[in-house]
This record gives sequence, C-alpha cells and structure tokens, in this order.
Amino acid sequence: MNWEQLDLNPRIIAAVKRANVKSAKEILSLSGSDLQRLTQLSKTDVHHLHTAVAQAYCKRPLVTALQLLRGECPSLEPGHRLSFGCAVLDALLRGGIPLCGITELAGESGAGKTQFGLQLSLSVQYPVEHGGLGSGAVFICTEDSFPIKRLRQLIVQQSHLRQDLPKALVRSIRFSDNIYIEHAADLSALQTCITQRVPVLLSRGSVRLVVVDSVAGLFRNEFQADETVERTRHLLAFSSTLHRLSHTYHTPVLCINQVTDVVDGPNPGRCNFGLVESRVLPALGLAWANQVMVRLMLRRLGGCVTAGEQSCVPRRLEVVFAPHLPRVSCLCGVWLEGIRGIAMEDSGEPPQQALSGTARTAHGPGTAPEGAGGT
Amino acid sequence: MHRTIASLPLAPSVKTKLTSAGFDTCADLKDLRPLQLCKEAGISQEEALEVLQTLRSDEGVGGAAAVRGGVTALQLLQKEHALGDIITFCSALDSALGGGVPVGKTTEVCGAPGVGKTQLCVQLAVDVQIPVCLGGQGGQALYLDTEGSFLVQRAADVAQAAVEHCTLLAHDHEQQAALKDFTVENILSRLWLVRCHDYVELLAHCYLLPDFLTKHPEVQLVVIDSIAFPFRHDFEDFSQRTRLLNGLAQQLIQLATEHSVAVVLTNQMTTKVWNGQSKLVPALGESWGHAATQRLILHWEGTQRLASIFKSPSQMEATVPYCITECEAMSGSSNEEKTFRRFLELFLREMKPHCWRTNRLRCGQ
Repeated sequence: MNWEQLDLNPRIIAAVKRANVKSAKEILSLSGSDLQRLTQLSKTDVHHLHTAVAQAYCKRPLVTALQLLRGECPSLEPGHRLSFGCAVLDALLRGGIPLCGITELAGESGAGKTQFGLQLSLSVQYPVEHGGLGSGAVFICTEDSFPIKRLRQLIVQQSHLRQDLPKALVRSIRFSDNIYIEHAADLSALQTCITQRVPVLLSRGSVRLVVVDSVAGLFRNEFQADETVERTRHLLAFSSTLHRLSHTYHTPVLCINQVTDVVDGPNPGRCNFGLVESRVLPALGLAWANQVMVRLMLRRLGGCVTAGEQSCVPRRLEVVFAPHLPRVSCLCGVWLEGIRGIAMEDSGEPPQQALSGTARTAHGPGTAPEGAGGT
Repeated sequence: MHRTIASLPLAPSVKTKLTSAGFDTCADLKDLRPLQLCKEAGISQEEALEVLQTLRSDEGVGGAAAVRGGVTALQLLQKEHALGDIITFCSALDSALGGGVPVGKTTEVCGAPGVGKTQLCVQLAVDVQIPVCLGGQGGQALYLDTEGSFLVQRAADVAQAAVEHCTLLAHDHEQQAALKDFTVENILSRLWLVRCHDYVELLAHCYLLPDFLTKHPEVQLVVIDSIAFPFRHDFEDFSQRTRLLNGLAQQLIQLATEHSVAVVLTNQMTTKVWNGQSKLVPALGESWGHAATQRLILHWEGTQRLASIFKSPSQMEATVPYCITECEAMSGSSNEEKTFRRFLELFLREMKPHCWRTNRLRCGQ
C-alpha cells in the first residue's frame, strides 16, 4: 500500500514506515494498543491511522436498499436471475437462480440433477432479455463422464423447449461451442480447475455459469470417516473460492450434491432443516450447508405423468432454504426436450391430486420413455 | 479528556512542540511523568512540569465533572427504558426478549442454515423504522452483509407487509399521518447496505462505523450478517482469529453503548462431539460466547422453528415457537396468525405468475 496517498500527518506516515508495516490488511488486523506499541504513536494518532486506512480500503460508497431495488448499483445487485427456460420453474424460484451465491441441488441418484445442470448450461446462452446471460457455461464433472449424447439431444430439441422464442434466435446460437467441459478426478485437480482455469474463462467473459457435478463425490471418497476436520478445511477452501468467483463475476454457481440416508432416530447433533418426513438429507453436513445460499432438493416420486405422446416419472423440486423464497415446491418431469415444471391448477388444487389424475393413464414406472439420461 | 492540547493555556511554542510530537488531547499526556514528556516532546524540564501542572489543575475541574457525570442506577434504568426495543412482530419472542431486541446492547442470533437468521435481521431492519406513535423506534438501519445473502426483493416483501400491518393498527389521526411517510420506498431508502467480501473489509467498515453513526444519528440498528462467514475460512492461525474477534466484540459493545444502537450479529452453528455425543453449538469457539450481551439460538424441532434465549443478563431462559410466513419473517400466537393468514393470501395472489415483477411495480408507484 502506498502510505503517501493517505490523508494523514506525515509524522504518522513516517512512523508507519519505520514500523515496517506493509499492507492495509496488517494495519486493520492490528488492535489499537498493538499498533501503538509497534509504531510508538499516541492513541489519537492510531485512531486517525485506522480510520484513514479503512477509508482507503473501502472504496465502495454506502448504498440504500432502494437504490438496489431500482437497479442503480448493478455491481451489488444484478437484479435479474438465470432462467431455467421453463415458466413454472422460474415462477417457483421467482425468476430463476440468483447470480451471486452458491445454489445447491441435492437429490438421490436418478432424480434428474444432471439434467438441471445441462439445461442451465443451455439457457445461460440466451440473451439477457430471454432469461439468459448471453454467455457460455463451464461444466465440471467429478463423477461420471460428461453426458455428451444427452446434451446433443437437448440442443436438437431446444426449439421445442423454448417455443416462446423465435426459431431463428434458437437456431442462431451455437450451443455446443459455448460449453466448456472439465473433468476433475481428484481434489487437487478440482482445486487447480477452479483456481486457475475457471477464473480465466470468467474473466474473458466466455462463461457466466459454473456447474459442479458433483461436490459430494470427491469429498466423500477422498476422506475417511475420522478425517472430518481435514475434510471440513478443504470443503471451506473450495466453497470460499466458488463464493468469491460468483461474487466477482456475478456468475451463478450450481453445485450438485448427493444425499445421505437418515438411519438413526433423532440426533441432536444433526440439523434436519425441518425436513422431518424425508428419509434422506443433503450430503456433506453442516459445514457445507453453511456455505450454500439457495438449497434445492429434487425427489423422484412414484406414478407417471403424460404430456402428449411422452410420459415420465414425476419429480418434486423443493426449496429447502433460500433468503428470498418461502418453502415451496412444484412437480416437474424430465422430457425429451428437457426439464419442465408441471403447472398447478389456478384453483390452487394440490399437486398430489393433479398427479393422481394423470397417474390413471400411467403405464407404470420403468416403461416410460424418459429422455436418454439417468442423472 | 478529549480536550485538545491547543485549548490549554500554554505557550504557543510549547503547544507546537507537543502537537508535532504527536500529543493531540489531554488524554495522551495524562499518564506521563515530567522527565518522559521532556524527552518525548523535546521541551525543557521546567516546561514539561508546567504543562503537567496546568493539565492537572484543569483536570481538577474536569475530574469533578466526571464525578458529577456519574449516573445512579435509577438514571441508568430510566435511560435504558428511554432507549426502547425493536419489536420482532412475534409476540412470544418479544415478550421472551423483554419487549424486543434492545437498543444499546449487542444481540447474537445463532442458527443452522435456513432456520431464519437472515429473515430475522431483515425483519428487524424494517421494524426499527416503524413510527414512534405506533410503538416503533422511527429509526434507520445499517446492514453489513458478509454472505451476500441480502436480497433486496425479500426486503421489499417484508417492508410491504410491515406497511400493511401498520395500516391495520393505525387508529387515530396522528398515527395515520405518520403512516403517510411509512411507505415501502421510504423504508428501503432508510436501509443502508454494505457488502463485505472478506474479514479485512469487515474490520475496515467497523473502524468507519463510529463516524457513520455520528453523521447519521437516526441509525438505531446495525446488523452484521454473518460474523461467522468471513472468519471461518482463510484462517490458519486460530489465535489470531480469536484476537481479532475479541477486538471486534469490544468495538461493537462500545459502539452500541456510545451511539445507542442495537447491534445484531448472526452466527453459524457447528457440530461438537463430546463424550461420543454430538450436538450443535454456535461457531467461532468458546471465547466468542462472551462477545454479545444476549444470545438467541434458532433451531428446528421437527417442523417447528423454535427460538431459545441462551444468554441474557435480564431475561429468563425461554424457548418460544415462531414461524416465517411468505411476507413477514416472524409470527407467533394464534390471534396474530389471523392477520398473517390475510397477508399470506394477499401475497399468494401476487405470487402467481410474475410476482417479482408485480412487486417491483408496486414499489415503483
């Protein structure tokens, strides 16, 4: 830090230089009395020093919530959300997933989590006025290989999914050119990926979405049961990197997570997020949950829903917590063209009834053609 | 003791020497001996003695004032009553807290993710602005967001619901007149927001808080959501973390008392294994437990959310239920529930197709 630029008495600046303090961070981390001892300055001088350094460090002016709401400071509150490309799902999440912060999607295997990741990697490529961010996506696989066949299928079917958009627009986007696929087989590879390659893509503007599929895989495999402290340390480092990237580049981060079975009874050491009837909880425990801003859960239900000639097993997408959303849920299905929510009737008819109504035409689970992919 | 050296009856040359040696106020000179002062300031021994004698004789007057300025317990009690509390809109929680979140004290809210810490903070930031004639504080709020979880959309919802709630409560002319000013737009314009990306930024903002509060005396609530987030990563050295946190706690307590503001901090929970049993405890370690005057723990019991008063100098230990509705963070008893159900309906009606757009329009009116 250049001390000369501070609005301070030269005597104080000389004392700081003499004390060999290099950075503003150091000054701010030292308490008043420590700094007094170190620089031999009086209490009042140290107070001036702290204030001046703090002022130089916090360049951003204070804003009011009203300015945010009016979109006067897009750097703090970008205002819009990343759309799913489906009106029902967007309405559930009040517009889509927030641009700043980590969004987690947890669910059992086969629930359709990867499908969400794929669909968002496509919808992010639409221009802002159509719910996208006009940029590509980076898809980090840690478990299976990237489902490239399913992606091709989704790209071909885009015009069916986005019937609200002009066909020419959908055709003009070269979807597969804007998805960067990364494979991380172990934690160190994942670390290199998110600290070196992803920031480059983000700073060039070629990417405005980061999908990690999945976070649980590596963290669950690489550590033994007795290495929780070590695991938590790595998990926090990982999540703080993602958090910083998300806030610096206003880029949504979708982390796909596995679930863990609830085997024992009530346990005071476990937080169940009020999900009492659920047999499963998102994996990785409280340390990870503390880092997540929006937690979604996807569950596979029984029965079958049909739409036109297709039918599929319904899923329930539930908001477990989010700072701006109530605990709501909706039904959705994985179709050939992608994931689409199943709209509730306007009369407020509970979705279960809507489901049983369609379940009468069910062919039973398993026989339904269901796109090409599992998770 | 904040009297400046310049105002002392001393020779200008002596004053200049003292100031250039870094002595600004009388407090700086108080504990010095003549010999030390003569070395430090580069003045002669006689001059140093004279300075200290002048200071002592002046302090004699000031010292008497200090005794006169001392307060009795009764005055302290009256002052505390005058400061008041910020209501939470949950009557059970309010009465457990003795009227609400106290102004002039620090309160820590701990809880697992999703249990409603941020909701409570946003609610308080809106509630502190309720006009005085309706039982509020008529103040403003400063919100330090370290997690990036303050979403202005939610604040607008809560503000809208608070406006409607107060409209129902207003009976006489004075109250209705006060409500003219209590609109969503005004509420949001009185909510200051700071986003801190790491602990250094948080510390920097805390150094700037006294000046901000002097400039904006209407601010009666300072929220830090959350204290745990920046301090739980990037730290290899735990003793440094403890030292920083202790310093911060001291600063915040001082701030709360000197500027008569309520300071609300949120904290995360962590799992503690003890004797083979695991339980959830607030994060940041044992010594941080002493930081706040009051400690409130929010937790789940089945599907019910509960708030427990864990530490309080004046209130009984208590656990009360609360819930978060779509439009307001806190509600509790059954008769309140009726009002809230009305809000809920109102909200759901808006919620249907493009609720965020509708809300924005409403706020823009």
